[in-house]
Amino acid sequence: MELTVLCISFAALLVLGVPVAFSIGLASVATVVYSGMPVAIVFQKMVGGMQVFSFLAIPFFVFAGELMLYGGIADRIVRFANSLVGHVRGGLGMSNVVGCTLFGGVAGSALADVSAMGSVMIPLMKKEGYDADYAVNVTTHAALVGVLMPTSHNLIIFTLATTGIASVSVFSLILAGIIPALLLTACNLGAAYYVARKRGYPTRGGFPGWAEVLKAFLGSLPGLLIVVIILAGILSGIFTATESAATAVFWAVLVTALVYKTLSWKDFLKACAKACKATGVVLLLIGISSAFGYFMALYEVPEKTGELMKSVSDNPLVIFFMINLLLFVLGTFLDMAATILVCTPIFLPIAVQFGMDPVQFGIVMLINCALGLNTPPVGVTQFVGCAIGEISVGQVMKSILPFYSALGLCLALVTYVPAFSLWLPSLFK
Amino acid sequence: MTPAALPATVADNENVNAATGTPLTASATHERPASTHLYSRFCAFLSKASLVLAVIGLIGLILCVQFQVVGRYIFNDTPTWAEALALQLVLYVTALGVAVGVRDAGHIGLESLVSLLSEKWRLRVEIVIHGFVVLFGALMAQSGWLWTTLKWSDIKPMLGVPVGADYLALVVAGVLIVLFSIEHIVALIRNEEVVPAWN
Amino acid sequence: VEFRSADVHNSDDYPTVAAVKHMSEVLQQKSGGKYKIKVFNKSALGTEKETLDQVKIGALEMNRVNISSLNSMCPKSLVPTMPFLFNSIEHMRKVLDGPVGEEILQGCEKEGLVGLAFYDSGARSIYAKKPVRTLADAKGLKIRVQPSDLWVAVAAAMGANATPMPTGEVYTALKTGLIDAAENNIPSYEGFKHYEAAKVYSKTMHSMAPEMLVISKAIFDKMSKADQDMFRAAAKESVTFQRKKWDEQDAKALEIVTKAGAQIVSDVDLPAFKNAMAPVYAKFINTPDLQRLVKAAQDTK
Ligand code: NA
Ligand code: NA
Repeated sequence: MELTVLCISFAALLVLGVPVAFSIGLASVATVVYSGMPVAIVFQKMVGGMQVFSFLAIPFFVFAGELMLYGGIADRIVRFANSLVGHVRGGLGMSNVVGCTLFGGVAGSALADVSAMGSVMIPLMKKEGYDADYAVNVTTHAALVGVLMPTSHNLIIFTLATTGIASVSVFSLILAGIIPALLLTACNLGAAYYVARKRGYPTRGGFPGWAEVLKAFLGSLPGLLIVVIILAGILSGIFTATESAATAVFWAVLVTALVYKTLSWKDFLKACAKACKATGVVLLLIGISSAFGYFMALYEVPEKTGELMKSVSDNPLVIFFMINLLLFVLGTFLDMAATILVCTPIFLPIAVQFGMDPVQFGIVMLINCALGLNTPPVGVTQFVGCAIGEISVGQVMKSILPFYSALGLCLALVTYVPAFSLWLPSLFK
Repeated sequence: MTPAALPATVADNENVNAATGTPLTASATHERPASTHLYSRFCAFLSKASLVLAVIGLIGLILCVQFQVVGRYIFNDTPTWAEALALQLVLYVTALGVAVGVRDAGHIGLESLVSLLSEKWRLRVEIVIHGFVVLFGALMAQSGWLWTTLKWSDIKPMLGVPVGADYLALVVAGVLIVLFSIEHIVALIRNEEVVPAWN
Repeated sequence: VEFRSADVHNSDDYPTVAAVKHMSEVLQQKSGGKYKIKVFNKSALGTEKETLDQVKIGALEMNRVNISSLNSMCPKSLVPTMPFLFNSIEHMRKVLDGPVGEEILQGCEKEGLVGLAFYDSGARSIYAKKPVRTLADAKGLKIRVQPSDLWVAVAAAMGANATPMPTGEVYTALKTGLIDAAENNIPSYEGFKHYEAAKVYSKTMHSMAPEMLVISKAIFDKMSKADQDMFRAAAKESVTFQRKKWDEQDAKALEIVTKAGAQIVSDVDLPAFKNAMAPVYAKFINTPDLQRLVKAAQDTK
């Protein structure tokens, strides 16, 4: 009965249009009141959820992303990507995919990626005669790679969500994400090329030559080094994940203010302010999701869901498919952090029981959540992409199918072929 | 391309009215005048002040974590207060960020049904939404206060401040959320728009 | 009525988890089904500190926590947490079963918690890539400790560099050399697979801080005297059960780690370590009450 209260009040608030975090919070409050427990418990769990040392990486990654945006690192990455693949058919689309992947490596979230790359690439593509829906889809999908690339705060959220179920280290998860990220990039390139051919987008100019590529690469190198710092820092044991993230901020300030000299004091303050607001939004969701998760545990939702799924089938392939399907459905209307925190305790035990490695599960989950960022009704990267491209979510649907297919293909491969995610971490055992 | 030409970022609200999840494109239907009455100016001041404090906190956070690294490698003496202080600071940065997010309409939600309604009903529903946010803010402040008083005599290891200080952040956030949501309701009734104090 | 009891351990068969389940069975039998306990392990209801607060505001009835989680609330809980207080596991059990233990169990009532029982948590020792036999070996060692003032002070008294960090990060930190050492009991050394990253386990046995089972005072006070006694008796029975299970688990874990190539160092210079703790005792055992309890514990034969 408590569960019914929880679910119905949550759905009602969400449909009414109450922001997701407040919907989750009020639904939890309603449940507490119904079951006769003190309301204060919701807020205790919320503070507990926010106050995890590893979550400090989130404000840092967000901050570093803002600094890179204001400091011109995104521009230089675009230039490099363009010199590399700009001459292929649908060239700007291809550059966009490559650029987003590279920026995804340095920025903490898909959202930072789409706003940074999108604000450079989408207007440019439109000016060159590409349709707005194509420009937006290429960007928003390529940006999803950022979710899997090393400096992703979602990786950290996942490791924390596994507490008490399995021990997953940030270290192995970071390594596990790299090949799927490249796979996703390849799928995105395929989709971008397919649509470009079908619509007959022009080729533009020739290959500028390796000297030009090298020059552009060197220009973007100081920015790209951030990902090297983070990876090397964590892998060598110099830093914890949190410390690397803080170092990334230092580096971003250093590069943009002293090397590129593109970051003014005013821009720096603006980046700080935006990082604070974004931190508030993300950590509130994380905190309130832990309160929600408390009720899920209290009312044994994971056990019940597990039983239900096992009653449908005991074939791992079917179970994994069901998990993906449910994650997809939840991901359409839940935010990424919330999906990870709420769903990991539910599905991870079942996945592990049917032979999936927790690390592999993490990558599957992240790709699924990434997909959710681009699906209505709540798809934040899609919103931002559409806003930049000045089109509606309806219009963007015109050319989205190839991109969804690309994501789906990548998801299927990672779900059913463990080597994609597990091979790289196994080398470091 | 200059950095100034790059618009939308994570919590940017010039381009996305993320509270309702609708991209406000050039063809946005309701462009209302900015709120400038006394209460709104008071809230704008609070919002700006909160953000300034949050920025200071964020920089403090980074320094804490960096100091920990320096302590460990250079002085071979890990400062044990650094992590505890960082965890304390992040709560306050979050609390202030959450509140400003409410004022700047930065929280993510969906607007599938509301957008189908007539302008009049839409206004009413938006008022109800802000009413729910007021409720949440009030509960947050109340529960926060309960924990603050309950945990004030319990002193945190390594930092020497009361555990209750963690929950005081909730009181701060809760009160600000209530104030800012009321500002939104007033603005809706007066057919005005709350303009972010610092972007 | 069904009471809820929180526990942070993951395994459903972990000695403390199993012990509270055992207590539930005993209670059900004795009360003819009137009382039972449902255990929420895996930190499902939160960290130990959080669940203790839930007990305080009446949102949760029972809680099994490590005694160090109670240190900042009730001073007497510090006593069995103190380093090198007990000479052996037998000594520890004897003290906790006697009047000293009884006084500590009652020491949290002002905080709204009634102590029902102590469970074993073994002896915590240091593990690193090299043996730690003497204070000289411990000097400058970057060692992970639990985030508490007491543990930082203990590490400092040994001359080590205390590095507080969450349990989840310890494995990677040991593996990458971010820290040189950590400390825990053998079952945790095995359970977290830390023996893969730090092969030498030196039996410093610096702490035998026990686990404690508490019940909300508000709820306990509402029970009849007979029911209260029944609860205490059931808790006592679960202690015997838990100790047996703990010893089995300890032996099994020891076998696993030694098979995996971990080296167990037994010839640690314990008296030197113990003497080095004088400043820790001076700092934390700072009231006549605590000094009396510490002395009584040390004098228990
Ligand atoms: Na990333
Ligand atoms: Na979605």
